[in-house]
This record gives sequence, C-alpha cells and structure tokens, in this order.
Amino acid sequence: MTLTLAIPSKGRLKDKAVAALAGAGIHVASAEDSRSYRTSVTGAPGLEVLLLSASEIARELRDGAIDFGITGEDLIRETIAEPEQVVETVARLGFGHADVVVAVPEAWVDVETMEDLNDVAGGYRARHGRRLRVATKYWRLTQSFFTRRNGIQSYRIVESLGATEGTPAAGSADVIVDITSTGSTLTANHLKILTDGVILRSEACLVRSLVGQAPGTAEADELAARFRQPPPG
Amino acid sequence: MSAETRAGTGAPYDAELGALFAARGAARVDVPIIQPADPYLDTAGEALRRRIFLTRGEAGETLCLRPDFTIPVCRDHVGQGATLPRRYSYVGLVFRQRPTGPGEFYQAGIEDLGEENAATADARALADALAGLETCGLDADDLDLVLGDQGLFEAFLRALGLPEGWQRRLVRTFGHDDQLEAALAALARGGSGALDTLDPEFAELARLGERGALTFKIRERMEAAGLPPHSGRSPGEVAARLIEKVAIAEARLSEDSLQLLRRFLAIDARLSEAGAVIGDLAGAAGLDLGRALTFFETRNLALRAAGVELATVRYRAAFGRPIDYYTGLVFEARRKGSDEPLAGGGRYDRLLSILGAERPVPAVGFSLWLDRIASRTGDAA
Repeated sequence: MTLTLAIPSKGRLKDKAVAALAGAGIHVASAEDSRSYRTSVTGAPGLEVLLLSASEIARELRDGAIDFGITGEDLIRETIAEPEQVVETVARLGFGHADVVVAVPEAWVDVETMEDLNDVAGGYRARHGRRLRVATKYWRLTQSFFTRRNGIQSYRIVESLGATEGTPAAGSADVIVDITSTGSTLTANHLKILTDGVILRSEACLVRSLVGQAPGTAEADELAARFRQPPPG
Repeated sequence: MSAETRAGTGAPYDAELGALFAARGAARVDVPIIQPADPYLDTAGEALRRRIFLTRGEAGETLCLRPDFTIPVCRDHVGQGATLPRRYSYVGLVFRQRPTGPGEFYQAGIEDLGEENAATADARALADALAGLETCGLDADDLDLVLGDQGLFEAFLRALGLPEGWQRRLVRTFGHDDQLEAALAALARGGSGALDTLDPEFAELARLGERGALTFKIRERMEAAGLPPHSGRSPGEVAARLIEKVAIAEARLSEDSLQLLRRFLAIDARLSEAGAVIGDLAGAAGLDLGRALTFFETRNLALRAAGVELATVRYRAAFGRPIDYYTGLVFEARRKGSDEPLAGGGRYDRLLSILGAERPVPAVGFSLWLDRIASRTGDAA
C-alpha cells in the first residue's frame, strides 16, 4: 500500500527535512521545476512524499489525511487539542529549534515572572477599563500555559498572524506569546522573556498520525523504525 | 413527563418552574441563542474559549451559542436601561463543548439585579434555588448544600495585615485549592531570588522609594521602545508596583499567619454554627473581621427568615468560584454523594459594570441544571 509523508514545501526547513530523510536512506528529488510541489522518491518503495506548508502538515496529521509528516512541535501542539491521542512523535530531528515564549516590554521592570504578570493582569481592568491583551498566533498554547499552568484568568488573546513582536509598540497588545530562536527580534523590539515564560522548546519532528488509514500497518511500522534512534551502545 | 410540562421551551419542568418564578416575582425573559462572544471572553476569561461553540459572522464579529443566561440577561438589562431593582427569570437551552455528554442542555434560574439589601437578596437567591429544586422533586434531605463567601476570606487576609500584593495573590487563587496551596507555600518560602534579574539601579531606587526618579527612568524606556504613551501601563504604575514588590521581596509569610490561614481555610461547619466557629478563631488570634462577619450573620438571619434550615447547609471557608466578577456569596447543591452540581449561584457585583452599566449594580443569581435534575429524579421524558 502507499504511505504518504509530508515535508515543508520551502526554505531551510525543506532542505533539512530532505537531509533527514536522506539520513534514513530515503532520497527525495523535487520535480525539475522548483516551483512544483511534486517529488520523486527512491529508497522507500510505496512511499509518496508531499510538499505542504508546515501548519498544513499539522492539520493533515490531525485529520489522518497523511500518514507521516515533518513539522514543528509548536504547530503540532497548537493545532491538535489532544496530541497524544492523535499523533505519535517518532523522532525529534535536531533542527528548526525555536522556543515559544511569553515576552513583555523591557520597560515593565516590575514584571519578571508569570506570577508578576498574573498580578498585573488581575488589576488591569480596574485601572485601564479592559483586559490585558496578549498578541499571539498560538492561542491554544497560550491559554493552556496562562490558565492551566499559571492560574491566570484575566486576559484577552488578540490574534496576530505576523509581526507579533511589533504589537505592543503599535498599541494593539500589551504582551506577546511568540516563537523565537535567538531572541534578537525580541530585543530589537524592546521586549524581554519572562524568567519562567518559556512555554515550549520546539524543534522539527517526524510525526506519525494515529488516525489515518495506515497507523497499524507493517509498512508504517517499518518506516517509523528507520527514524528511531538506535539504542545507546 | 407529560407533554404539557414540556410545552414552551421543551425544557423539563418548564411549566412548573415558570409558575414558581412568576409567583416569586421574577419576570420571564428570553434572549437570543446566538450571542456576541466578546462579553463572555471578557468576563469569564479566555479559558472559556475552548468550551463554547464559536463562529464568525460575515462581518468578522465573533459569535457564540449562549453558554449561559446570566451574561445575556444582564446585557439586555443594561441595554434597555431598565429601572432597578428587578428580578429576571429564564428557562432554556445553553451550549457548551464537553468531553462527554451532549453539547446542549437546559438551565433555568433567576438573576436578581439592583437589590441594595445584599443579605436579603443573597438569602432569596438560595431560598429560590432550593424552592426550584423542590419543584423538581428534590428535597433538602436529598442534597449536599455548600456555601462559601469570598468576602470573609478577603476580610481575614486584611485582618492578618498581609501586604496588599500578597492579599491580591491569595484572593486570585480563591476557589482553586491547589493554586491557593501553591501560593501559600511560595509566600511561606519567601521571595529569595525575586530581584536577581532586576537592574541594580532600579532596585536601589525602588528600595529608597524614589517614585519620581523611577517613573522618569521607566518613561525613558517606554519612549525608547516606542510604546504608545496613553494606552496600557503608565510609567508611574510600573514604578509603584516595583516599589511594592521590592518592599516585600525579602519578606515571607510568618508561621503564625500561615497557621491561622490554614485553620481558617479548613473550616467546614454547619451554617448554623459557622459564625461562632469563625468568631472563635478570629477572636483567639485577636483578629477583627469587621463588617464581613456581621454581614455573614445578618445573611444567616435573612436565610432563616426565607425558610432555609441553616443546619442543612455546610459552610466551607475555602469554597469559591475563581471568576473575577464573583465577589461574595457562592453556593452549590448536589445530590448527596455526587460531584455534579444540580444548582449553583452567587453574588457578582462587578459584572454589570463590566457589561457597561454606568454605576455598580449589586447582583446575585442562580441556575438549575435541569437535565441532571431530571435524570437524577428518574423523571426525564
């Protein structure tokens, strides 16, 4: 039977994903036209490799429309309500490192921890007539970290699909939850990460859908086995 | 259940409860099923987002299927500018996403707005809830009834003389036993390391209470970052909170205060005896709970006058609902031995201001979970 595996369709993520597959003996060649999303695969009979956007890969895994995918853990956890029931992380691939963090203006010298932020959020409406606003594209991760992990009830999420770190200066949010790899964009925007404000240390992962057509087949098990870390020693 | 009693909304006990609520002077209202979601997310918080059915309108506005009646009833009231005091009643479907069980179920209840005599209104809410349960065939003997009061907890914290920042922190966790326990443990441990990452210059200014100089330096930082000057936190606000934070950073909750707080939070007594139990604890520690305890006792008198047998109600000092518009009384009724509420209610004096009322409106209400009641009594159609 045919197995499907999706990798990011462009950029460094695509190159590293192709390299990761090559490391497992699976060689992916893009069609000659670099704008095409078709590939040819050698080294894994019956495997079809698709090029999709990273967030689409997470959705397709959730829906069982593909069997395997390489995408960021942040997108998996953001897209899927109960990831443990829907997908299995076969391997962490060691690239695409990025942290999802809570960052506040540097000028908030009194706010260093989530507990500080909780206090500020609690009194925010009384002072300013509205909730503290958190700009993010990660509403699920934010809500779970703020409310479940840190007991923060009073805040509003402002959906931000790009340039999130600019929203405090633009006046459309007070604090942000965003992804950062080096922190330099945050620093350039006069934002600082709270000391206990790292929500997730994400990297690219090979993920297997548990709800697709082939979750239990020998072919799928065999493919997953090619990526698992060899036992130590 | 007969067809007649399901007439109208189709809710179990609709006719019986409708008659009861009318007899008790609460005008029946209806509100649209589709509601703007913002008032819900603004008041109950973002945690609600994954539990409600959200959709977007053509113009981009966020809409939801009503997850309760309290907010639409109060919004309607504010929108119409109706006179006060006023009591509204409702029976109908509400919609929530739940891991198990259907996403829609029936609720009925009363919202009591603008009654200045809070003891009377609190007592009436609890008595009406019990009358509603009785109408559905449940006696007080069948029920576990629990009552809590955030006002008493706040008064206890004030009387202990805790720093305001600590009081705010503990009040925020009220009703969440594990979070409250974690906050107590953190305060008892002390804040070592809390200032480690703070710029020493700011720390020194804060220690000296130099609010003016701090404000100036914080304003410089805000300007450098291009933060809009008239929206969000002001430099003075940040400076004041930093001074407060530095002042208590090295302190920790004393063993005495911790023990007293734990003993207070452990109180679980018949309501008929609770006042004396609280009074004894406070008296022995030399704490003055002031009007909060007087009000507690006054409300008990009002409850008795409204026909509630105080010995059948448990007062639990740690019982609360961690939603920031709840301000005082909270109560819940469950079938004995069950953990599913059949009725729940409380005082929410802050809600109507949040929803746009020009001045604060005292308010208290309750709702009944009709499907649970019907299935428990074996009376469901």
